Amino acid sequence: MTVNPEPFLKLDRVIHEKGRMAIMSLLAATPELSFTEMRDALSMTDGNISVHLRTLQESGYIAVTKSFQERKPLTTCSLTEAGRKAFTEYIDLLEQIVRQTRR
Amino acid sequence: MDADSANERLQVIRTLMERSAIYRRALAPIMTFLGILGLLGSAAGAILGIDSALHFGLYWLSLSFVGLVGAFILARRQAIRDREPFWSPPTKRVTQALLPSLFVGAVIGVIFSFTLGQQTSFSWALPVSWILLYGCALHAAGFFTPRGIRMLGWLFILGGCSLTLSSISVDARLSFVTSHLLMGIFFGGLQLAYGIYVRFTDRS
Repeated sequence: MTVNPEPFLKLDRVIHEKGRMAIMSLLAATPELSFTEMRDALSMTDGNISVHLRTLQESGYIAVTKSFQERKPLTTCSLTEAGRKAFTEYIDLLEQIVRQTRR
Repeated sequence: MDADSANERLQVIRTLMERSAIYRRALAPIMTFLGILGLLGSAAGAILGIDSALHFGLYWLSLSFVGLVGAFILARRQAIRDREPFWSPPTKRVTQALLPSLFVGAVIGVIFSFTLGQQTSFSWALPVSWILLYGCALHAAGFFTPRGIRMLGWLFILGGCSLTLSSISVDARLSFVTSHLLMGIFFGGLQLAYGIYVRFTDRS
């Protein structure tokens, strides 16, 4: 059986990394999440999650807002339109890969 | 990447999205606990002869406080056991959705109890208001919970509407025993049935 490698080659490398995929998954199902909520949900270190968030932000996939809550800094993240589109395409490609082998 | 790892990734994405959006924690034990509390409260209220607006209101407000504390303990216990943060985004959203209706229910309960005092007529008013408001609360929370909560909310809402309609159309003055029975059916029976349903069907 020949497998078409095209869907795999099209997978977005920014989202394909495990940590960033997890962040995108959390943000896809909720309007916004704080830095600490994501860090706790994914059991990541501050440094690790910061690096992933910066990469996603530089790709235009997430918006990061910094504010203060009760005099403490609060960082919240949400998916941008481009991020939602890229994540939907990423899921579609994964589904294509699964379907292709089942055929 | 082969189909298995693609499938595995999709599963991870699904799980994370659910964890981020849907409140699942301790739903079966909480509903079972609330159901049993409602049934026992109903039976005890009828047997003890709690038969004035003041006593009826305060009795059920106290029971709802016990229910809230119990639900909090059950949710927190499961959060600790599963090593998850207790005050998670879904928990926050469910609490925010429940709060307005529960708050109005508590205020109506206090006003009803202290203004009608020892009166024993219009006893249907408080249980029916609570049934309607609780239905609205469940329906609102249902947007952030798995399966069936919104339907349970609708059962409360439709039941409350039917009771209101029948109370007005036949000018009924229910006895307080019947009011306790109504509380038992809705807050006891329906919630217990839902708790048992979730316990045997939840595969998460």
